[in-house]
Amino acid sequence: MSKLKYRIIPEGMLEGKYIPITAVFIDYADVKACGLTKREACEKIAAEIPGPAGLNMFDMTATTTNSNGLMLDGGMLCIAASDYGKINKDFGYMEMVEIPYSEELIKEEPHLKQWEKNFPGRKLYMGPDPNKKIIPIHNAVLTGRAGNNNSGTEMMHYINMEELLLPITGQLEIMRDGNLELGGTGGVISVGIGMVVGEEYGRIVPRRQWKCGKTAHNSQEYAQYLKSHIPIIASDKSELAKATIKALEAGMIPGRDIGASPSILSVARHMGIKPDMENIEENAFIELASIGCTKEWMTEDVEKLSVEEIIERAHEIIPGIEEPKRYKASDLVQVKYLEV
Amino acid sequence: MKLMHTKLPEFIRKMKKIAATLGSEYKECDVVGLENLKTAKMQSNRTGRIERAVEDIVKHDDVHKVEVAVIPRIPESMHSCIIRGFDKDGKPVHAILETINILHPTEDVLIHDCPDVIDRRPSIGKH
Repeated sequence: MSKLKYRIIPEGMLEGKYIPITAVFIDYADVKACGLTKREACEKIAAEIPGPAGLNMFDMTATTTNSNGLMLDGGMLCIAASDYGKINKDFGYMEMVEIPYSEELIKEEPHLKQWEKNFPGRKLYMGPDPNKKIIPIHNAVLTGRAGNNNSGTEMMHYINMEELLLPITGQLEIMRDGNLELGGTGGVISVGIGMVVGEEYGRIVPRRQWKCGKTAHNSQEYAQYLKSHIPIIASDKSELAKATIKALEAGMIPGRDIGASPSILSVARHMGIKPDMENIEENAFIELASIGCTKEWMTEDVEKLSVEEIIERAHEIIPGIEEPKRYKASDLVQVKYLEV
Repeated sequence: MKLMHTKLPEFIRKMKKIAATLGSEYKECDVVGLENLKTAKMQSNRTGRIERAVEDIVKHDDVHKVEVAVIPRIPESMHSCIIRGFDKDGKPVHAILETINILHPTEDVLIHDCPDVIDRRPSIGKH
């Protein structure tokens, strides 16, 4: 018998925030050590959870991208949704596709220039293959009351219809036993996650439907309200600052190569990096201005800070998250072991 | 085409008739999930299979009532949304077409506490 390790945030109240379904985080290295397939591991863990749950599995030796095109330390391999201890055979499980490196890919998706510079040799996983995935539009899996959407970053309960936002940066912090912030998503992040990059196998939107500089929300002043009421478990802002700095130091320009989100713009300002104002479309400017990131704010000269100072002052520099509280991952996430 | 597709009211009537007549006693049958459809043509061969399923359920002595719930097989459905404005005489005068994609619970919410479940559906993509 082997013991399969997994991390879990149970359904219910968490430090004053309602978690609508149980969230599970699994390391593929632990799954391999137990001699299980990815699906088998999800099914065995699901069998331990009577209520609705979302399950995400990671390869921490791989890389992925977030909505804004930042490349990150770690990638997601598959997602599942379970309820009553089971995973729906047709719609409850989905794997992400490994994306091979090519010059053509880098040309079409210039944010991936980070790959060779920051994560050379790593496998890249984003979303599922849009031609093979199981439902037409959303990158989602569903079982009973549980939904695990947007490639594992948005979990929802289909009866009470409550939702939880789990940005990939926060989930990777959970996998590293790092530092988290818990709060309300708020208007700034609601706008920021719409500043996407074009990706053929995007974790949220496939087929390069939007180019960098456009807004996926395309909702003008209403974009700030799209996700604002939802609880969020995100990475500590100092960790987000590190990932952002890494991308900016690799030559990524906000609004041209990576999304001009408030968090990226905020860090870039203090590094003296200007966004590509010509490439950002007017609808994106309207959404950004609605939460205070005006054109003047983006281009004004502010105090230039060292990388260390930006990381140190990340909570003051990076906006977003309503009433945030900071935690060690171990304060919010339980570690469990299952005999398999 | 009459033999290929069944009218919606007839589909509902057939289910209620089987429940009422083929059990050991009169049994009620509710058809739910089609309330937003006023008219529709239902696959006739599948109507027959569903009639058979109602018969098989109603013949159990421990069954006192039957429900036929019709939900989307794919738990994400794509819809057109037609927004119409009417004048004081009830005549449509303005319309805008939009689209909305809806995620909804799978069948598991209806069968999770049922001890006897037989899945007679063909796999996705086969009819």
